Amino acid sequence: MSYKCSRCKRDVQLDEYGGVRCPYCGHRVLLKERSRDVKEVDVQ
Amino acid sequence: MMVPVRCFTCGNVVGEHWEEFDERANEGDEDPQEVLDDLGVDRYCCRRMLVSHTDLVDVVSPYQ
Amino acid sequence: MSEEYDVEFVEREEREARFLVRGISPGFANGIRRAMVADVPTMAIDTVRFIENSSVMFDEQLALRLGLVPLTTPPEGEFGEDDTVTLSIDVEGPATAYSGDLVSEDDLVQPADENVPIIELKEDQRLEAEADAVLDRGKDHAKHQGGVAIGYRHLQRVEVVGDLPEFEEQESRIVRGVIEDDGELVPTSEFDHDLSNRYPGKEVEVEDVPNAFVFHVETDGSLDVEELVTRAADSIESRATELEEAVQL
Repeated sequence: MSYKCSRCKRDVQLDEYGGVRCPYCGHRVLLKERSRDVKEVDVQ
Repeated sequence: MMVPVRCFTCGNVVGEHWEEFDERANEGDEDPQEVLDDLGVDRYCCRRMLVSHTDLVDVVSPYQ
Repeated sequence: MSEEYDVEFVEREEREARFLVRGISPGFANGIRRAMVADVPTMAIDTVRFIENSSVMFDEQLALRLGLVPLTTPPEGEFGEDDTVTLSIDVEGPATAYSGDLVSEDDLVQPADENVPIIELKEDQRLEAEADAVLDRGKDHAKHQGGVAIGYRHLQRVEVVGDLPEFEEQESRIVRGVIEDDGELVPTSEFDHDLSNRYPGKEVEVEDVPNAFVFHVETDGSLDVEELVTRAADSIESRATELEEAVQL
């Protein structure tokens, strides 16, 4: 899973042991990046 | 946020006139009534779409 | 087996018109009106594939906005109900993405209005998407509605029946639509919808002309007025034929 730290804006890889924390600056707010997949939406 | 593309009530395309309306009536000092008449937005349902609209993109964009 | 109707244009522009039809019943007039609103197929975007959208609005919101943009509808027979036309949009901020930025694969299907803002993009924001447009009817989704604010009124005949008494002040008499004055068709907007402006000092009588209807038709740009009305009439005809065949079994 790739996330982005909301403070230092660096890409963060999370593993199952590290907990939710940026390894570079220790910030605990991470943002999930939008997937690169093409998203198909119906107009409703 | 952005101007509605069409009038909610009658379905007329009002987004087309937004930029000119904004420039002349909101930024400029022309009378909104005259600008709307000039743009050919005749019905009051379509007129309220433009008169009551506020662009919010600048307000929300800092929160990405 | 088609019948001839007497049709006369009062006002005529590409997207807006007023015309008089004589010799039709109220039910038939309403049938035409309904066919224009709900039964004439027009092109509109139906599915959008987002490749990149880093703008401030969600994919679904942008898809709806793209769907509402009117697209020019190709001549009859050119497309079937299941055919699609692909349009693409690619705009990078800082800029505003307009409906005119949609690039169509088919010259016959183009955005009818080019200045509709879709989304304002800031620095480093980007919108890249592909959209499929399909042909469908107004009854399935309002985005396929070719006619806007369509209505009809009776033609009204105005007759001068005498002079007002000398010292009586004339009251305003508001009429909207089109009046017939001695065979001449006059839109009421010419005298500010007030008969006392047109006939000062006169006493007038107004009555509906039976079976004469003045239609007001406006389109969103996907078809011109004439095309919309003839296609509506054709759709009624094909329904009638279908009914006739079904009943004759």
